[in-house]
Amino acid sequence: MDYINKFTGQVRTRIFALLIIDNLVFLADWWLVEQVLHLTGFKLIAALLIVPLLSLTLLPWLSTRYLTQPTKLISEAILHIMPDAANPVPAPNPDSSPFGKELVASLIHQVYQLATIADQTSKTKPQPIDLHANFIANSLPLPLITLDASQNILFANEATCKYLQLAESDIVGKNFYSLLDMSFPSEQTFDTWLADVKQTKATANGSWERVRLNVSETRPMRLFDLAAYYNRSNSQHIETMVVFFDHTKQYIQDDQAISFIALSVHELRTPLTLLRGYIEAFEEEFAGKLDPEMNDFMFKMSASAQQLTAFVNNILNVARVDGDQLVLQLHEENWADIVRSAANNMALRAKVRGITLEYSIMPDIPTVGVDRVSILEVINNLVDNAIKYSGKSKKIRISTQLTNEGMVETIVEDYGVGIPTNIMQHLFTKFYRDHHNRAQIGGTGLGLYLSKAIVTAHGGNIWVKSKVGEGSSFGFTLIPYAKLADELKNNMSTEITRAAHGWIKNHSMYRR
Amino acid sequence: MELNGEPNNKSTSESNGKKVLCIEDEYFISELYVRALTKAGYSITVEPDGQQGLALAATDQFDIILLDLMIPSMTGFEVLKALRDPAKTPYLHAKIIITTNLEQREEVRADIEQQADGYIVKAEVTPRELVEFLSNIDI
Repeated sequence: MDYINKFTGQVRTRIFALLIIDNLVFLADWWLVEQVLHLTGFKLIAALLIVPLLSLTLLPWLSTRYLTQPTKLISEAILHIMPDAANPVPAPNPDSSPFGKELVASLIHQVYQLATIADQTSKTKPQPIDLHANFIANSLPLPLITLDASQNILFANEATCKYLQLAESDIVGKNFYSLLDMSFPSEQTFDTWLADVKQTKATANGSWERVRLNVSETRPMRLFDLAAYYNRSNSQHIETMVVFFDHTKQYIQDDQAISFIALSVHELRTPLTLLRGYIEAFEEEFAGKLDPEMNDFMFKMSASAQQLTAFVNNILNVARVDGDQLVLQLHEENWADIVRSAANNMALRAKVRGITLEYSIMPDIPTVGVDRVSILEVINNLVDNAIKYSGKSKKIRISTQLTNEGMVETIVEDYGVGIPTNIMQHLFTKFYRDHHNRAQIGGTGLGLYLSKAIVTAHGGNIWVKSKVGEGSSFGFTLIPYAKLADELKNNMSTEITRAAHGWIKNHSMYRR
Repeated sequence: MELNGEPNNKSTSESNGKKVLCIEDEYFISELYVRALTKAGYSITVEPDGQQGLALAATDQFDIILLDLMIPSMTGFEVLKALRDPAKTPYLHAKIIITTNLEQREEVRADIEQQADGYIVKAEVTPRELVEFLSNIDI
């Protein structure tokens, strides 16, 4: 305000000075006419009128220019920072002002500062989305989020704020991955999809089922389906839109069913242990003393007890995988021995159905790092499936060889009913069962899901090839022990511990 | 109840001189273990009670202790802790093998495994496999 007072003072003195000059001019004019020129009559009147008229036109013109100079400089400053000006105005020099330099300089400075702030906000703040779209997004009862090219959140509708229990300001501008801790039931996560479509597509749609979201430690986890739309070139820089469909209730019911079954099944363990123990003792005690029919009964009893044990173990292990409680301890094992003993074990179960189980093991298979109990379950599950889906075929083949990449690969092959192409991708999903065969062939839809979790935890891969009417092959790879041994050296421990879990974290920043 | 020696007198194996204490309250399980271990040459004593099992174990006359976790009067985990506490059990040369079907959190299991010399899930191991397992333990 001091600048303003000083400025008014300066303007006042200048107007005062101008008025004095004006009066002096008039007096000087009168004096000149009187004393020097001695004009009379018409000439006197003309002289007395012309000079004041001249001063009246010239002086206001000059004084206005002179007095409005500061205002001109400020207006030039404003025009200078105007964006997209057709004729750019050069920056004014506040020193060129005849008076009020401090006020002019400080005002110009403020104009520039405001312009910088406005520029920054327009860059950082998302483009305002038009009101109509905003209304639609906000009236949607589902959480909806839009992302820019670097996965930062541009917009989150009201349902999102409610769902995450966060204020809009805590969501908008944040990175999608750091805000949402999501886990997917398979490796095909939102993150990998987005990375893929960014490289290969201009627009794309993606959807995921059974995605898990850990909202916060104090709130229960949510389960939902996710849908996403990607559009590379968009005038508002919105690249991806994500919508959440919360199905926590339905999905939790499945999980609770598994927990309940696991609890009940656990009670079967002790009687089963005894059953197998007594069958074993019986076989030992009466070996060679039974007639062939008795032997056959014995052997069917033994096969059934084994099958029941495998079923119980599957259920318990799925409950462990889902609770991130299945921990594997990898030890060096002779893989040929394991395959041989698994094949001999399963041959009994195959024989009950009249199926012969063949195996071929390539010589010089390197030792592998495996959790013996768990990896046997994988072979058991694959052979069990082969038995179930063998149809009229009476042969199953197990083979083991070394792949070109130096992995130990084991394949279980049947020549039975085969798998239609459209359901292949769902095979390793929990509870998935081929609906065509559901009525004829029993099962829980957990075996392949569990096998995949176990093989993945070993650092291997599991795959399937099949043709309807010709049979299926399921294969999995394992890492030779020599490669794992390097990991051992770094760990300074004598065993390698791995966790098998059914959930894949969405983004590498969370990956174990 | 104590079950000593050979229940069916059918064992033809020579004694291997190793003594096993089986702390287990499930009679059928101990019967199967007694049979299999006796056949393999072990001398085996069964004790179904936790406290009495601890007292027997502390006498240090056994080479191997098979310890169930769900047993009366004192849990197997408490017996294990007492046996590993130098104030309560100053000297014990026996190897302690946990035998259980109990489902527990991974952290609890890791804690027990650290204090024991072996951990066996009974449902995963038949009596014959138990004998094989014990034969691989250094005593």
